[in-house]
Amino acid sequence: MKLRQSMTTLHTWGGLLPSWLLFVVIFTGTLACFDKELEHWMRPALHGSSGPASASAQQISDWLADNVSAPLHAYWIHPPTERTPFWQLGWEEDGSGQRGRAVFDPVTGAALPETLGGDFFFTLHYNLHAGQIGMYIVGLAGVFMLAALVSGVIIHRRIFKDFFTLRPRAQGQRAWLDAHNLFGVVGLPFHLVLAYTGVAIFVAAYMPAGGMVAYNSDPLAFYHEVQGGYHRNELDRPAGTPVPLDQLVTAAQQQWQSTDTGWIIVEHPADASSVVSIRRRDPSRIGSPQDTLSYDAFTGELLHQQQTPPAYRGYIWMVGLHMAQFGGSLIRLLYGVLGLAGCMMLVAGNTVWLRKRAARQTPGLHLVQALNTAVFFGLPVASLVLLWANRLIPAELEHRASVEAWSFVLAWLAVTLATLVSSRQPLARARALLGVMAALALGLPLVNFLTAPYSHLLATFGTAPELALVDLTLLICGVLLAVAMARYRPRQPVPAARKTECGESEVTV
Amino acid sequence: MAAQHWRRLAASPLAELISRGLAALVAGYLLAFGATAFLSVYLPLPRPDRVVVASLLCFAVWVGAAVYSFAARRPLRVWVVLVALAGALCLAAWLPTDWRMRP
Repeated sequence: MKLRQSMTTLHTWGGLLPSWLLFVVIFTGTLACFDKELEHWMRPALHGSSGPASASAQQISDWLADNVSAPLHAYWIHPPTERTPFWQLGWEEDGSGQRGRAVFDPVTGAALPETLGGDFFFTLHYNLHAGQIGMYIVGLAGVFMLAALVSGVIIHRRIFKDFFTLRPRAQGQRAWLDAHNLFGVVGLPFHLVLAYTGVAIFVAAYMPAGGMVAYNSDPLAFYHEVQGGYHRNELDRPAGTPVPLDQLVTAAQQQWQSTDTGWIIVEHPADASSVVSIRRRDPSRIGSPQDTLSYDAFTGELLHQQQTPPAYRGYIWMVGLHMAQFGGSLIRLLYGVLGLAGCMMLVAGNTVWLRKRAARQTPGLHLVQALNTAVFFGLPVASLVLLWANRLIPAELEHRASVEAWSFVLAWLAVTLATLVSSRQPLARARALLGVMAALALGLPLVNFLTAPYSHLLATFGTAPELALVDLTLLICGVLLAVAMARYRPRQPVPAARKTECGESEVTV
Repeated sequence: MAAQHWRRLAASPLAELISRGLAALVAGYLLAFGATAFLSVYLPLPRPDRVVVASLLCFAVWVGAAVYSFAARRPLRVWVVLVALAGALCLAAWLPTDWRMRP
């Protein structure tokens, strides 16, 4: 009894404090299951065209040399795949560490108009677009989530019986608690695994103790031995004539007896020490293969084949389990559905917190209510606005991706402001925001139809199912949101004081 | 007078909650750090495997420490137990200077 009481304290506060941050992480993580599909959808220039993929890695590398003048620390190229039918390029400038990204047509090799792409949600998921600091914040939120899950299980003595209990017509708080339990228990194994593998990805940054004690804090020795990788320091001598990248890719494919090439990484290309590392791709496995080949960029000599210790392969397997790049669409769909269950668990959990305290007028009630609305509605609205902006901003506009980012930020700010000015009518506010979300989701396929002749549902249905599914999902979500709005009424007359203070601030859809 | 005021504040449920919460975060991390260092040295495995296995376990230790922080009867005892344990583990890990870095 005493244990369950103390675990309730841990669950209540350890769950509430990071809940809004966790909502951002889980919601964007759910979207990031489909980051490649969204990336494809957000690039209408790719749609409708077909032809033999004739662009080559060297062509992409030449574009970089022509268009980026700053000296580079490294750059990386990924050939087209089934889910990403385009060439991808990323680079990091020397000194400043500034990073860039570009995507190319697989047929012509021409650079495509810039967009934030599905990558935006992926980055928001793991570092909130705040670099190193953001990565630590998300990691801390992940540990909070683990603690909340474990304490939740301890509290939940009748886990089996309660699982089959849903009383939607019951008194508000009871129904929300049932919903919280339902989403929490259905998703429990998934949430535990995803939270643990999620924090494990950056374990070397979060927990440096092992490297400190066993490698005397020598990061190079640590990475060299643990990853079995290859690194060559700069010689500070000018580079020679590089071997064409395509020649190295062919050599790597012969070495592996496989044509599935992943990232091609070129380190300090302007220095005599430059190394080209080529990774193998194997989406049939949970953990990506760790047999990267490293070549001298100027002689083409094979310098090293990666050989990893068993524990590191176990780590890579955990990373793969989190990233969901294995298997097929069915796996990602399952991840997506369980991710949404995670979002709903948070929404329902926070609503239980509010309901419990509404009658008592606990301090902080308004703050929690405002944060709930600003985050649980603000992020989905902002994400939808971003997709609208993607279709409405002209392709040739300079700094197009920044304009998209501003549309996302301003939309979220608008929801937050609307939350602040309407704090007296939480019911009307929730209804209105549901309506806004429904309109945005239902309108998007229409905007797509009006602006992108090869991307809309009628053009992609049957020919490009991965694009059509984005529009279809939006339509389904829009209809569900509209239904939720129409049916959204307070269940029973509530005493006036309670009605205005607690209201029904959130709603499931 | 002021001392009495502080004593009352320290005994309040809010102060206890904050103490337990900080212990779960800070002392819990210290224990996870100590456990990772200790296992990185004493696991009967080659060095890279020792370090990776120990590091991957650290979050379980941290969460366990968080549960203990809230389950323990006396909130101040939590700090003593977790910090002392972390210190002992670190000491045991760092003392054998050559052996801890064996391949």
